Amino acid sequence: MNFLLLAANQQTPFSYLPVAIQLLVGIGFVVLTIGASQFLGPKRSTADKLINFESGIPSVGNARQPMAIKYFLVAILFVLFDVEVIFFYPYAVNFKELGQEGFWAVIMFVAFFLSGFIYIVKKGALDWED
Amino acid sequence: MKAIIAATVLGVILMFAGLFVKEKKSVASLAVFLLFVLLGVNIWDLVTTAPNETLSFFNNMLRVDRYALWFNTLMTGCTLLYALLVSKEIQRVGSHVAEYFALICFILCGVYMLSTYNNVLILFIGIEILSIPQYILAGSDKRNLKSSEASLKYFLMGAFSTGILLMGITLLYGATGTFNIIQYTFLQSDMLSPMALAGILFLMVAFAFKVSAAPMHMWTPDVYDGAPTPFTAFMATIVKASAFVAFMRLFSVSFGAISSDWMMVLAIITAATLFVGNITAVFQQSVKRMLAYSSIAQAGFMLFAVLAVNATAWQGMMIYAVAYSVATIGMFAVLMKMKDYTYDGFNGLAKKDPMLAAFTTVFLLSLAGIPLTGGFMAKYFVLLAAVEQGKMMWLVIFALFMAAVSAYYYFRVIMAMYFKQGNAELNTEVSATDRFLLAITVLLVIVLGAAPNLILNI
Amino acid sequence: MPVQYYLFLSLALFCIGMMGAMMRRNAIIVFMCIELMLNAVNLLMVAFSKMYNDAAAQIFVFFIMVVAAAEVAVGLAIIVMMYRKVHSVDINILNRLKH
Repeated sequence: MNFLLLAANQQTPFSYLPVAIQLLVGIGFVVLTIGASQFLGPKRSTADKLINFESGIPSVGNARQPMAIKYFLVAILFVLFDVEVIFFYPYAVNFKELGQEGFWAVIMFVAFFLSGFIYIVKKGALDWED
Repeated sequence: MKAIIAATVLGVILMFAGLFVKEKKSVASLAVFLLFVLLGVNIWDLVTTAPNETLSFFNNMLRVDRYALWFNTLMTGCTLLYALLVSKEIQRVGSHVAEYFALICFILCGVYMLSTYNNVLILFIGIEILSIPQYILAGSDKRNLKSSEASLKYFLMGAFSTGILLMGITLLYGATGTFNIIQYTFLQSDMLSPMALAGILFLMVAFAFKVSAAPMHMWTPDVYDGAPTPFTAFMATIVKASAFVAFMRLFSVSFGAISSDWMMVLAIITAATLFVGNITAVFQQSVKRMLAYSSIAQAGFMLFAVLAVNATAWQGMMIYAVAYSVATIGMFAVLMKMKDYTYDGFNGLAKKDPMLAAFTTVFLLSLAGIPLTGGFMAKYFVLLAAVEQGKMMWLVIFALFMAAVSAYYYFRVIMAMYFKQGNAELNTEVSATDRFLLAITVLLVIVLGAAPNLILNI
Repeated sequence: MPVQYYLFLSLALFCIGMMGAMMRRNAIIVFMCIELMLNAVNLLMVAFSKMYNDAAAQIFVFFIMVVAAAEVAVGLAIIVMMYRKVHSVDINILNRLKH
């Protein structure tokens, strides 16, 4: 383990070694799991399985149909919650320097966040059934 | 800075109250109670800060002085008065009463940030917290097409002006390398880079949008006319006053030393605002629309406080904010009782309900700036500040002339009430509580006119 | 690269956004133009931040992005509300308010 830390401290091409190892492990894991499921899983080709898969909905008609307002609402809420995560980047970079105070500040941020989420859930914005 | 935190938390509480409390009336009472709490927190902030003491919060992001705290307290007081006066009308706008009040709480949070910011980042966030809830409030009457249109128009204009504000901030940052408004005071006239000048100009245009000063005022009448009347009353008073305090904080504190570089531009904006606001108000048929134009005209007077850059200007801003807010809230509260918003709708109100007509008269006299009312003192102080500064005498004379014009359209309502035959129809019965609250508002207007030192000596 | 290049690029983007916001009639496109203005500001902020070696401007950019997202949420909701009423997002219909 020590040689990895040492490598990371040097400003040479060698210091990218941990990144390369990480990359190899990542690719290896994906290849392994996909290959294993291909290899181990049963293969039965039926007519249903060979048609285009569109989220379990039979594929009919044009794609440019008016969307239900529900999709739209969920999309808006997603954008909102997705972008708020941006504040975790500066916190992650300064995690150690900010210490306890920073931690509580982030907890407070997440709490406000969560209260917003609870609010929209309670309000029924995410209910799919009418 | 307890008030900012309190406003946010109370807003969230109100939001959740809407989920669990279905009764509109109890939600409104809870909101009024929470606004009382907020006022208490503000007073607590005020009394625990010694005079002449300046506190910094959040790594010098906020700089809190006595003036800002006093302004926050007064604005919260005005909001409370507003909530008491119009809570019934707010309940009639739609079914999401708790959310409306929660948004008002969030707007107050923005007000507190705008009166205490020490960093343009807080200015930007404050302006957005102030604006975004307003877009929603403007469109809250979902059955009414006009309300939706007002909301869309306000939103597009507001987002556009935010872009301009941000460009100004960025250019200024490029010229100075800081976001701290105190460090902008080191800008000097003889070594201003074009980038800094462009930044200041962009900021001025963006603020002119927010306070609806003349060339950028086009959205105001449509939005104020289309938005539900209770929320128009809020937008035209407390929100506008705090946008002005933010304007003044930046231009008096940061750019005060280089005032000669931007003063002429702002003077022309002021003259145009006074002219357009007053002259167009004369031709309106609807009282609500007239009040929208009159709010542009009053913004012209408030711009004098920004122009003057001296101690009297700060006092003038404070008294103008309060006097204008109280009188306008009162006027809108009366307007909401009327069935017909045109001038003709007021015909013969004096015979039908002499008390209501008398109250309306006081509010209108205050807006016109007749002596012994708060509006007179407000106009007196801002114009005094401009005279003390001495560079803009032509503008002061022009403003006096325009104040005379403004008397015409305010008095037209009074004429309709007292001298015209007609049957002014009321929308709802004016209850004893309403009368009491309106009487308190009238009292405030008169006290402000008789003893302005009550709010100036702090 | 000199910072002037970034300045000119982002001012050009800002002006394109501004012209679009003033000239286009479709509310969604106007809105996209306003987003372009904000992104021009973001670009300039980051360039200046590099120039001054000061991270404050980058944090400012984060705030601009988040506030823009909040604005998008409210704005799109308003546009959808409008669309459901008049089945159009043309801005010219807003002029009806004047009467």
